[in-house]
Amino acid sequence: MATTFSEAARATRKKKEIKLVGVDMYIVTEQGIPTFPDGEFGPFKCEFISNRGTKVWPGFVSPDLMMVNWYRCRFMSTRDVNDSDVDTFLSVLTKKGWWWSAAQKLWTHDGEAAYSKAY
Amino acid sequence: MAQHVVTMLPGEGTGPEICEAVRLVIDASGVDIKWEYEEIGLGCLEKYGTLLPDKTIKNIAKNKVALKGPTTTPIGTGHKSANVTLRKVFDLFANVRPAKLIPVLKRPWDTIDIINFRENTEDSYAAIEHMVSDEVAQCLKVITWPGSYRIADFAFQWAKANGRKKVYCVHKANIMKMTDGLFLDAFREAAKKYPEIEIGDVIVDNCCMQLVRNPAQFDCLVLPNLYGDILTDLCAGLVGGLGFAPGANIGDNCSIFEAVHGSAPKYAGMKKVNPSAVLVSGIMMLRWLKETAAADRIEKAMFAVLDERKHVTYDVGGTATTDEYAQAIVDKMHAKA
Repeated sequence: MATTFSEAARATRKKKEIKLVGVDMYIVTEQGIPTFPDGEFGPFKCEFISNRGTKVWPGFVSPDLMMVNWYRCRFMSTRDVNDSDVDTFLSVLTKKGWWWSAAQKLWTHDGEAAYSKAY
Repeated sequence: MAQHVVTMLPGEGTGPEICEAVRLVIDASGVDIKWEYEEIGLGCLEKYGTLLPDKTIKNIAKNKVALKGPTTTPIGTGHKSANVTLRKVFDLFANVRPAKLIPVLKRPWDTIDIINFRENTEDSYAAIEHMVSDEVAQCLKVITWPGSYRIADFAFQWAKANGRKKVYCVHKANIMKMTDGLFLDAFREAAKKYPEIEIGDVIVDNCCMQLVRNPAQFDCLVLPNLYGDILTDLCAGLVGGLGFAPGANIGDNCSIFEAVHGSAPKYAGMKKVNPSAVLVSGIMMLRWLKETAAADRIEKAMFAVLDERKHVTYDVGGTATTDEYAQAIVDKMHAKA
């Protein structure tokens, strides 16, 4: 039986089934909205790009929208993938000259998306 | 007199009945407005599969100005907020929330006249969230130099144009040195263009305490998105609650004026809710459209009706319906004409 608040909190943890489904790449560029042709990134395909949380590709972009030089590029997997696939993907991105500040793996938890969408 | 074309977004719940009452008052003020009605909110999901249909976006983009009733935002799960989507799509970076004491609503303060300028498009509202393990969630707080500079610049320009004397930056830069530090640096940089205006900064927790102890000391506040969300409601509470709180979301080319309260779906169709928040947002819109005389007329009539307390809604101690309150304001305007 839990004897402290911390132990009681830990005891409520619900383990979830976690599956890797994609990667959010944070890319710094002065060249405007990046483009990632399908088929050049193995099992990953760019699904959307956002800037300051607002979707800027694909679809409508207000001409009023102010953007900064930092884009979140969401790559979703087209088949089952593992961490090695992500390593290869990052290497390909770097070789193609993309300067990225961070990568965040995307998982599902018990089949539910464990990441937010862009506005 | 020039005709204005304004997009009307009645919203959901009590929104449509409130907006009709507000339209009645604004139309009676003598201003020439052609209203174009568009849909927004949960009701659009079934019809169009989105909270914000393209038709609505195109109409707002065409008219450049809109008046919006309340919408419902699902909590925790479900669809994104229609309000935030609007701000994002049109980059309505400045959320202007005046908090001015309405004379007849008695409060323990003598004077409160604060204008809050809330950055409206970034901070933790950038909606970049991930579960980084099965027991840890993270939300990125995104603060940018241009986003911070332009809200400060906007606030200073507004202050200068409206004879305000002091602009203070609200932050937590003592703890979040990178993000809030950047916001504060950009504020100070923007301030250099406005040497006639007194500047200062206040840590957000202290600001909350000062607001409830001595709100009259504040003039204009510039805030990042999340602190702005919280403190603007605190300020609204000081002057009578969200039922009287106007709001404007302003971008470089488009402006949307809206009440900040919820849609109160349980009262929908009962015509008992107070439409004042949308009405004072409409007054802000008229001033934005340079229709100052009409705005002043409505405000004066509204204060008079509130002062008489004969035709006020239940939340301020009366029994009038939404429509009766609106009609009383119209009658008061005509009586004074």
